[in-house]
Amino acid sequence: MSDGVLLRAAGVARRYGDLEALAPTDLALHAGETVALVGPNGAGKSTLLSILAGALQPSSGRVEGGARVGWVPQRPAHYARLSARENLELFGRLEGVAEPGAAAARLLERFSLPPDKPSGDLSVGNRQRLNVALSLLGDPHVLLLDEPTASLDPGQRRRVWEVVNGVRGEGGAVCFATQNVEEVGEHSDRVLVLQDGRVVYAGEPSGYAEVAEEAFR
Amino acid sequence: MLLLFRKDVRILRRSPALLGALLAYPVVIAVLVGLVAGYASSKPRVAFVDRDHIPPVVKVGGRTFHVQRIIDRVASNVTLVRLGPAEARRQLSSGKVVATITVPPGFVSKLASTVQTPSLVLRTGSGGLTPVVTEQAQALVYQLNRKLQDAFVRADLRYVRLIENGGSATLLGNHYDVLGLDRMRALLDSLPPSQRVAKMKQFVAFARFALGETGSALRATANPIGLEHPVTKGRSWVLSAQVQAYGIAVTVTFLALLLAAGAAAAEKDEGTIGRLGRGLVSLGQIVWAKVALAAAAGLALGATIAVVFGLVVEAGGVTGGEPWPRLPLLLAGVLLAAGAVGAGGVLLGALSREARTASLIAVLVVLPVVFLGLVPKAVAAPAAWISDALPFVHAVRFFGSALYDTSPWRTVGIEAAWLAGIGLVLGGLARAGMKRLAA
Repeated sequence: MSDGVLLRAAGVARRYGDLEALAPTDLALHAGETVALVGPNGAGKSTLLSILAGALQPSSGRVEGGARVGWVPQRPAHYARLSARENLELFGRLEGVAEPGAAAARLLERFSLPPDKPSGDLSVGNRQRLNVALSLLGDPHVLLLDEPTASLDPGQRRRVWEVVNGVRGEGGAVCFATQNVEEVGEHSDRVLVLQDGRVVYAGEPSGYAEVAEEAFR
Repeated sequence: MLLLFRKDVRILRRSPALLGALLAYPVVIAVLVGLVAGYASSKPRVAFVDRDHIPPVVKVGGRTFHVQRIIDRVASNVTLVRLGPAEARRQLSSGKVVATITVPPGFVSKLASTVQTPSLVLRTGSGGLTPVVTEQAQALVYQLNRKLQDAFVRADLRYVRLIENGGSATLLGNHYDVLGLDRMRALLDSLPPSQRVAKMKQFVAFARFALGETGSALRATANPIGLEHPVTKGRSWVLSAQVQAYGIAVTVTFLALLLAAGAAAAEKDEGTIGRLGRGLVSLGQIVWAKVALAAAAGLALGATIAVVFGLVVEAGGVTGGEPWPRLPLLLAGVLLAAGAVGAGGVLLGALSREARTASLIAVLVVLPVVFLGLVPKAVAAPAAWISDALPFVHAVRFFGSALYDTSPWRTVGIEAAWLAGIGLVLGGLARAGMKRLAA
């Protein structure tokens, strides 16, 4: 794909019957950049990320780009009766990772996760970290995160952002949804503000605050 | 698909309480269904209206009949309740009794005359049990006739003997003095020989011979075909082939439907459907992984039940024993049936979108499915048509034929085709449902 674009959404939209969850939206994720999606609940952030991740089919429009994509859904998505190791090994195999056991061991260490405890018995923070770890199994070039730090303490947040920034540092692209103003300022290069399924602002982080305040009102 | 299947098996093994409930619940239901079905099919309540005031003892053809004892003996398939005419009518219209049998006035006197046929009057409701009750009432009259026929034959023979031997008799209130063939022969012997006397003697001899055979002829007329019933060591009701087929079908249907519905909906509950649906596996593979889980669990449970049945049959020394060589064929049917039911379970799981709701809906669905399969076609044809479109009844027929038909292949082939077809249709619908679940 030209101009260093790793993933592009072209006019993607999603309807649920009469409800327009996301109006036709364009978004290109470039190598080495981090894009923040900001907006109140129901603005369409999760819908846009799910479409970009390939977890949700758009009602219209398309997603282009052959980059490997990692996805952190808003709600942890793993099997509660399997341990963190078993979840990582299972999804590693499904992702086609060459050595799923070794990949699982690396991620367990990187995120300091208890390996053999059923993941349903993990703390909320550990479950969210496992959620992030699962997204890294295929060594993604594009990382899509839906409020990844909402349930983490400050230390855990820092460690997650270290990992996320590592992906960007290696020439990847990151797109994350958040309602945390500090994270937007610290970690994003570009901001999209969504309201009622429409993009109401797209630009530098420095100029989004006023629009976001209006959107959240 | 194999990875998902192994994951589901591992999760199931780590849920011992759920697994125990899934195994125990259908077994309990199967036993209860069997008991209810057995009770319901054996004892419909029938009103007995005696408008003739039958005395405790009736004499027919010189024989004495204890009426209540005979009724108790011949009415073993129904519960006869003595009611007055008005009460019987009321209970029939309210459905408390399924039929009334009325003994009209003059019944006993007609019966005792042995030359007229009195009738009982059967009234049935218009419900689904009518054909069954009519059959049982016919069986009751047949049994009564069998008890009475000896007396009738004996009465008929008394008239024959009167013609043979002569004597006095009363018929329909009139007194007769009958000459009789024997006395007629003696009379003819005393006459001077002539051609006409010789002809009469010949007739008397022929008539004597023919009437001598009347006893056997009357008994043969009353009983053209007899039924000998030597008591052998057969299967008791709980071990009958039908019960074994129903027992396995009920338990496997319960297990497969609940398990597949729960497993499919759990992918939504745990949020993993989105992760899987990103191209890691196709929705079809998710569906067939759940179907495989249901089939494998059904196979394990079905095999256990079949082996337990077999051991009980062997231990009880039941005639014929358990057809062990047919076990592989039975288990092939169990696998197919559990898979077909499992496809329906995945559809329910996909439509209900949440594991607890899916389990509840599966229980709500499985009970009518099972009971529809228990309703005889003669009672409610629409129930049988609906049942034909569902896997349960085909599983029952497959299992019954696989276990006990001398040549099961035709039935087994037809029912296997039904199960495979229903499974494919339900699987296709389940795939469409999973698409909705993933959205």
